[in-house]
Amino acid sequence: MIRLVPNHASKIKRRDKVGFTFDGLRLEGRRGESLAAALLQAGHLNLRTAPFGDAPARGAFCHMGICQECAVRIEGRTVEACRTELTDGLVVERVS
Amino acid sequence: MSYDIAIIGGGIMGCATALRLAEGGMHPIVLDQGDLGQGASGVNAGTLSLQIKRVQLMPYALRGHDLWAQMGDAVGFHKSGGYTLAFNAREAELLTERQTLKAEAGAPIEFVSNAQLRRAAPNLTQNVVAASYCAEDGYANSSLTGQYYRGRLQDAGIAYRTHSPVTAIDKTTAFELATPQGTVRAKRLLLAAGAWLKPVAAMLGVDLPVQARVNTVSVTERMPPLMSSVIGHATGLLTMKQKANGTVLIGGGWQGRGTPQDGRGTVASDTLRPNLALAQYAVPSLGSARVLRSWTGFEANVPDFYPLAGALPHVAGAYVLGCVRGGYTIGPYISRLMGDFILGQEPELPLFDPGRAYTKEPT
Ligand SMILES: Cc1cc2nc3c(=O)[nH]c(=O)nc-3n(C[C@H](O)[C@H](O)[C@H](O)COP(=O)(O)OP(=O)(O)OC[C@H]3O[C@@H](n4cnc5c(N)ncnc54)[C@H](O)[C@@H]3O)c2cc1C
Ligand code: FES
Repeated sequence: MIRLVPNHASKIKRRDKVGFTFDGLRLEGRRGESLAAALLQAGHLNLRTAPFGDAPARGAFCHMGICQECAVRIEGRTVEACRTELTDGLVVERVS
Repeated sequence: MSYDIAIIGGGIMGCATALRLAEGGMHPIVLDQGDLGQGASGVNAGTLSLQIKRVQLMPYALRGHDLWAQMGDAVGFHKSGGYTLAFNAREAELLTERQTLKAEAGAPIEFVSNAQLRRAAPNLTQNVVAASYCAEDGYANSSLTGQYYRGRLQDAGIAYRTHSPVTAIDKTTAFELATPQGTVRAKRLLLAAGAWLKPVAAMLGVDLPVQARVNTVSVTERMPPLMSSVIGHATGLLTMKQKANGTVLIGGGWQGRGTPQDGRGTVASDTLRPNLALAQYAVPSLGSARVLRSWTGFEANVPDFYPLAGALPHVAGAYVLGCVRGGYTIGPYISRLMGDFILGQEPELPLFDPGRAYTKEPT
């Protein structure tokens, strides 16, 4: 692949692994990364359903808190996964 | 090069007047300190409602509605019909009184029974005491204003400059406008600077009694279909519509903070909360909706709340257009009248003399 900037991948220091759950499934991610990134990394592209319409499966799109396609439930509140930092033991559920 | 007329302000008033003047054979230039349609014209709630128009302005609003229908999809126009609601006896009285006057002024407004309302808008609260309906009401998408008029100006070959604040005006035989990009010369001048009219008129030594209100608008996340018409409140403190994508736009003229001179206004939580509470009272399912964004815009007015539309007092060749209540709805139409006036033709409906005394009803 053409790189316009040097490849710094090896220099990226990722923090320690932590566990969290998504609708009861046990998953792992890196502490401090965005929950949306952790969910994607774990293979969960479909995070919620659309409020209406015939394209029901939705997933993180803008990664900046605008589109709401990554909305999940944490501690009884609806939050954007892309604006939530992953912490150890986070219990995440789908918006019902 | 010298233009026939320089227009200060690229909002709906400035742009629409430029189009009319060009149709009449003039060469205008539009100057905006930011981009086209980034002032009130680009951030307003987009309600095109006869039910919230002043009685005296009804003929203008009715003709304005026709122009919006012609602009159609390019401005996100929807004729959805609109309900105005009263939740107690006092509000019902207010509703009956106000909407009767508006109906007499020519707006096709009818009062609807509770049963009719339930059928048409099942998600509304059960606590409606009285309601009126106007099939002509609807909305457009104000965030398309700039894009729409930029295209129209380009198609008509009209010059415009953005990021070009006018900082001083000199009047010799013609008008000389100082901008960071150099001096612009024009035979005539139209001030269409919205909430910034006062400082702009002051550059010509004219004091216009213009004040600015800081209106708040909010938008929710996408929701299942909750309403198919514009919903308003008898007091005017709520306007609400659900867009095709499911988001609900909530306005009603609640006041944020700030002044046009200081740049952007800010949303105030003490006015935002009652605004949202009223919306939620009208449509209880909004209780589960999250608000994505709230913002403010500056709406200009003069003490009698009628438009400034006519010759600028004391300065030959200068005109002013602004301070129109419901100015998004009425903008395209009153701008035509203004254009005709500047072209030396008799406007179809009377304008509003900026040199009037502001204490009594204009004639
Ligand atoms: C939040 C809000 C909600 C509203 N809701 C509705 C509604 O639902 N329905 C409705 O009908 N009306 C509504 N209105 C009213 C309507 O938006 C305004 O009446 C209308 O847009 C005014 O248009 P304008 O062209 O006069 O002003 P603006 O759109 O503000 O344009 C003025 C322009 O002048 C430019 N300018 C200022 N000073 C200078 C300078 N020195 N040099 C160069 N350029 C300058 C500014 O950059 C600006 O672009 C609302 C207003 C607000 C603020
Ligand atoms: S991905 Fe758009 S809000 Fe999170």
